[in-house]
Amino acid sequence: MMSVNSFSVVLGQKYALIIFLTGKIFRFSFFFLFIYFLLKGTGQIAGYSSDQIIFFFLTFNIIEVVTQFLFREVYKFRSMIIKGDFDLVLVKPVNSLFRVLMGGADIIDLITIPPLVILTVIYGISFHPALAEVLIYLALLMNGFLIATAFHITILAFAIITLEIDHAVMIYRDITSLGKFPVDIYKEPLKGLLTYLVPVGIMVGLPAKAIMGLITPVGIIIAILIGVLSMFFALRFWNFALTKYTSASS
Amino acid sequence: MRKYFHIFKISFEEELAYKWNFILWRFRNVLQIFLTYFLWSTVYSDPTRQIFGYDRTEILTYVFGIMIVRALVLSAKAMSVGNDVASGDLSNYLVKPMNYFKYWMTRDIASKALNLIFASVEFAVLFIILKPPFFFQKDFGVILAFLVSIILAMLIYFLILFLLGSIPFWVPEIGWGSHFLVTVVIVEALSGSLFPINILPEVLQSIILATPFPYLIYFPVQVYLGNITGWALFGGLLIAISWVGVLWTFLNVVWQKGLKVYQSFGG
Repeated sequence: MMSVNSFSVVLGQKYALIIFLTGKIFRFSFFFLFIYFLLKGTGQIAGYSSDQIIFFFLTFNIIEVVTQFLFREVYKFRSMIIKGDFDLVLVKPVNSLFRVLMGGADIIDLITIPPLVILTVIYGISFHPALAEVLIYLALLMNGFLIATAFHITILAFAIITLEIDHAVMIYRDITSLGKFPVDIYKEPLKGLLTYLVPVGIMVGLPAKAIMGLITPVGIIIAILIGVLSMFFALRFWNFALTKYTSASS
Repeated sequence: MRKYFHIFKISFEEELAYKWNFILWRFRNVLQIFLTYFLWSTVYSDPTRQIFGYDRTEILTYVFGIMIVRALVLSAKAMSVGNDVASGDLSNYLVKPMNYFKYWMTRDIASKALNLIFASVEFAVLFIILKPPFFFQKDFGVILAFLVSIILAMLIYFLILFLLGSIPFWVPEIGWGSHFLVTVVIVEALSGSLFPINILPEVLQSIILATPFPYLIYFPVQVYLGNITGWALFGGLLIAISWVGVLWTFLNVVWQKGLKVYQSFGG
């Protein structure tokens, strides 16, 4: 119901819908072209072939677009906190975290998901993966969504404590955008940070590596462990943040 | 002149009043540089390698050059013009004894000054940490041409922002949408802030170079590197000047027509 309302709002502003959709398609296409021409000139990057690098980029986009589609409401949370409107969410018989996290899905992102999935499948098939590799890819993709969800919950909790969310969510996006390419291109300590502390490598890079058969069973276990732990700590942090909510302006 | 000096001072202090906002914005800039730097550093991991007409020193100078040029060109407060028009706040400025264009130009300069200071510190810190090979331009004539290209880039960006800010005169609800499309997507893609335009095929290069966007980042950095000299430099500067003229004329027409339909909603 909340998503239907959100879709109706966006569909009511046709000009805005067209502009944002055009912008998103242009941005994706131009970066895709850049990678294509870059690899045409270089042949490979950090030992990865052209198709492999493009597959990393597509997997990054799937996680980014799906999380933006589901969690668009996070971007509106600051005004809810500043105006005190979060009170109205807390008193309603609906899970408050669910409401502020997934209460306004974005139809613009939804439109871009099917062509993106088709493109990813086309490139994925070109690696001739075994069924097990496909299943591991899907499992790690789910694990990536779990980590992304944990990040968004943490950002919401920070918003309650600090009132800073606009930059926090954009910093999250800037950091995850480092996963457009395999984390192997970065040098230590940044590479280590992106693998374990802010697990962009696990969130985005590992699923792509699974399709290419470049992953070990230990890597899978560590990835899932990090996914579950990050969700656990994010939920604990959210519950802690709720105790600090002071209902400003209301 | 005195009142604009006060506007400069107030704008400068206002930016510093919201410290976290500003620091986090600068932090985002550094993160964006990381992707570009490490990508190109990996591509040019072999110091003797030459691709797309660049060697390792030139490409990493390009990346570091982007930091400074972005701070000077793309830091701009005139982004808020559309909000003034859509919200009706424009009326407050129209009745004041000052020029609205000069007001925003002054605020832009204050923002650029502050961003330049921070970008210089970030530049120094990243330079010490990453130790990239860097090309220091010593030719005074080239440095002068680089400064001229920067001034033209700032003017082009200012005029683009004002034109975008004029759209809400007619369609108030797409103020942010048009900014997203032009400043977030098109400028980022076509200005050369991610990669040098000349890695693309000639046809695409020609199309992009016919727009004002590469004159914001790509052209000034190329001038600094000494890759554009002689008649090509003269021609490039002439095209940038022409864009300033075209955009300025267009803005005057649009702004005057906009003021005629302006209804001061909520103002």
